Amino acid sequence: MRTHRMTRTAARLAAPVLAALALAAAPARAAYPERPITMIVPFAAGGPTDVVARIVAEHMSRTLGQQVVIENVAGAGGTTGILRASQAAPDGYTIMMGHMGTHGAAPAVYPDLKYDPRKDFAPIGLAAGTPIVVVARKDFPAKDFKEFVAKVKADSEKLNEAHAGVGSVSFTTCSLFNSLLGAKPTRVVYRGTGPALNDLVAGQVDYMCDQIVNLVPQIQAGTIKAYAVALPERSPALPDVPTTKEGGLPEFQVTAWNAVFAPKGTPPAVVKRLSQALLAALDDAATRKRLLELGGDLSNTAARTPEGLQKLVESEVARWNKVLKATGAAK
Amino acid sequence: MSDLLSHLALGFSVAFTVQNLGLALVGCLIGTLVGVLPGVGPIATITMLLPITYGVEPTGAIILLAGIYYGAQYGGSTTAILVNIPGEVTAVVTTLDGHEMAKQGRAGAALGIAAIGSFFAGCVATLVVAALAAPLTRVALLFGPAEYFSLMLAGLAFAVVLARGSVPRALVMILLGLLLSTVGTDLETGAERMTFGWAPLADGIDFAVLAMGVFGFAEVLRNLDLTEQRDVVRRPIGRLLPTGEDLRRSALPIVRGSLLGAILGILPGNGAVLGPFASYTVEKRLARDPRRFGRGAIEGVAGPESANNAGAQTSFIPLLSLGIPPNAVMALMVGAMTIHGIVPGPLVMTRSPQLFWGVIASMWIGNLMLLVINLPLVGVWVRFLKVPYRLMFPAILVFSCIGIYSVNNSAADVLLTAGFALAGYAFVRLDLETAPLLLGFVLGRLMEENLRRALAISRGSAASFVQRPISAAFLALAAVVLVLAVLPAVRTRRKEVFVE
Amino acid sequence: MEEDTGQLAPPRHGPRVRAPRDLAAGLLVAGIAAVALLATGDLDPGRLRAMGPGMLPRAIAAILGLAGLALIAAAFLKDGEPIGRWPLRGPVFISLAVVAFALTIRTVGLALAGPLVMLLGGAASPEVRWRELAIFAVVTTVACAGLFRFALGLPIPVLILPGFRL
Repeated sequence: MRTHRMTRTAARLAAPVLAALALAAAPARAAYPERPITMIVPFAAGGPTDVVARIVAEHMSRTLGQQVVIENVAGAGGTTGILRASQAAPDGYTIMMGHMGTHGAAPAVYPDLKYDPRKDFAPIGLAAGTPIVVVARKDFPAKDFKEFVAKVKADSEKLNEAHAGVGSVSFTTCSLFNSLLGAKPTRVVYRGTGPALNDLVAGQVDYMCDQIVNLVPQIQAGTIKAYAVALPERSPALPDVPTTKEGGLPEFQVTAWNAVFAPKGTPPAVVKRLSQALLAALDDAATRKRLLELGGDLSNTAARTPEGLQKLVESEVARWNKVLKATGAAK
Repeated sequence: MSDLLSHLALGFSVAFTVQNLGLALVGCLIGTLVGVLPGVGPIATITMLLPITYGVEPTGAIILLAGIYYGAQYGGSTTAILVNIPGEVTAVVTTLDGHEMAKQGRAGAALGIAAIGSFFAGCVATLVVAALAAPLTRVALLFGPAEYFSLMLAGLAFAVVLARGSVPRALVMILLGLLLSTVGTDLETGAERMTFGWAPLADGIDFAVLAMGVFGFAEVLRNLDLTEQRDVVRRPIGRLLPTGEDLRRSALPIVRGSLLGAILGILPGNGAVLGPFASYTVEKRLARDPRRFGRGAIEGVAGPESANNAGAQTSFIPLLSLGIPPNAVMALMVGAMTIHGIVPGPLVMTRSPQLFWGVIASMWIGNLMLLVINLPLVGVWVRFLKVPYRLMFPAILVFSCIGIYSVNNSAADVLLTAGFALAGYAFVRLDLETAPLLLGFVLGRLMEENLRRALAISRGSAASFVQRPISAAFLALAAVVLVLAVLPAVRTRRKEVFVE
Repeated sequence: MEEDTGQLAPPRHGPRVRAPRDLAAGLLVAGIAAVALLATGDLDPGRLRAMGPGMLPRAIAAILGLAGLALIAAAFLKDGEPIGRWPLRGPVFISLAVVAFALTIRTVGLALAGPLVMLLGGAASPEVRWRELAIFAVVTTVACAGLFRFALGLPIPVLILPGFRL
């Protein structure tokens, strides 16, 4: 408590100084950033969020003229890293890549969460999302999404759904799917979507929902069947797979989004500079191409600004709270 | 057959460019150099070195990464032999006899046989991967949760054989390992188990943290106690390379280890961890004098090291052909490939044959590089033993702290290691071996997950474990191994009772 | 530091402790099992079809506890090893050193954490030579910073001062 007040006082004292500095340095551009920036990624290196972060950070480094260094701090569904980042000095030298879980579903999944996604951050902007696809084992007896939905509704208790653990993207998004259908399948848990996918390919489990990045190669090879993409429009990565809207379940629309945040109290000038760098990265043709090749979704342009991202966070927190409370997953 | 040859020819034409050969060499070299730092295991090494691959084009990057992987593996074995610190699960077995050999002044022979065995295993595994990658994929898909549970149970039965001392105590330590593996957030319900409200425990205990604490630091402590003895065994370096006798003893273990490791590595559920244990068990069983094991038997290094390397390589099969990473290291590989725009999956083989076969050819080249780099370096590594221990162990401490810290950038992990060091010290003082604890820990998590999955899918029917033939076979194997391991102990016990 | 070579307290009545080391091991194991049973007490064991978080840990802890009790019982029935020496210098200094590293790495950085862990750790050995160790500690820390932070670009803080980070 006291440290909070102290930092706030310090911030208040520092504000005029900073303003003066900014004025003084105006011709030579603001001094920020004068040293490398750390971007905390709350997942292990190599995961979808890490990949998005590294691609975006590379272009941002060029715009900012300082290296944006990725620091992977994995743990507790990403909340460990986000908590650490939220407690860092709000000077713009520590930023983070949050995502649908850490800044959307987390408050419903973790009752003791020590940060509030809506209040404890200075949003910078949405980076890229990855769409969610509903997939099933390749011999699942349903020829399209409509039949699949009907089958799940009718027989859900006989079916096995795979997910990657409470709080994971596959878990939260499929909770939404199941609750929309009123389905109660046996939910089989895996450590990560890789092993879950393995058992889906082998036909040990019946269906799962997951990020497109993880699934495209299997879908294209025909080892699993894709029923629908949970997007308003078809994904360029899977042009043959219809959307949930086409399949008659328009309410099932989710993206595993990734967005850049700074700790609360980061000076507006710094936020602006970071936001500009992020927008520049997302407008860069080469960066866009790399993100799209991975099946990334760049369609939500509204949330690319700090204000838009704040809105997205608020609506997501509310949505997941409702869905997860209803399925009994939230405590 | 001609297909195989033309594929390999394509692969070698890719791998034999000056640039790719250079990358394989550089990868192996820095992988070895970082991995050989005591306390920096393969996972830490690969995490540390992953970013340097980002600047290279995809095929080259994968070759570089594969080089780092082999280098890190071999570096890990080196520290297991020289300072008794296993960098990862598979190196636990190498410490048993490898470090004993080092104490007897035969570190050079142990390192040499590890390199030679690994090279042979690498050749076998390369052929296996090239010839069988596609068909074996189907075998891997036969393994569901029930099969993995039974396989892991068989693995635990192997663990009993590792015991140098009493079998009951080994069983106790396996149980303790199983118990530790359940610490952390329950995957299925999100309930916190035995975390005592401490956030860093929420994701469970990291293997590197546990191994460094109870095994690595405990070893340092034990050495501090043994001042006089240590300096006596430290003086002679001995012949650098294995003798003819060593090679003769090791030949068959290397062949058997390579085959065992190659087969287990194919299983996508991280079967590769069992390779070295299985090989050690087999060699100890087949040996004319099993008592030599745990006291510096070269077969106990040759077999498991070959199995380790063969498994390390064939575990690329699930990755390349199914796109499914079997373990943490391979998950890192997927990430690296994804960043380069290649998403591993069933189509890599047909869509980017150059990449696929190039990587396979470079596996063999990587193994060759390792041999070329390491045989001359054996002398250098062994010379490290000449560093006075009063300077060596502070260096081990600082490297270990940095290694542990880097895996998750977490200071709490380092703190936890200190706690495990104290526990490990108590275990050693009380004759409770820590190798079975580590194996129980690693297999425990896989076992619980697969058990729960299998029972969820079978709707609670335990009969499915015996009804499924592969699963039943592993259960039978586990029973046989356990009986064979426990029987002699029971028998001697009886004798003792009668003597009284 | 105990020079004790065997028996715990001399037993006044009842059975004699014949294997003190087994007894201590048994007590330790049974103690761990008891803690685990207490800590998992409120976890739902679930059913076979849907096992809860509590089932396996409790089952393992129970078996472990029984094994611990068996070790304790055996200590009264069979002759065994004495407790032995428990020198404390090593474990105390090594764990202190590692704790010191953990506490300083993110607050001050490697520049302090490195020498600290080496100097405190070095004190664990009775053969410590301070001047030699101090020089070695500085050299190793510089080498580590060069390798890990600058050559490999890992996000390990080297030196954090107010208004300054390296």
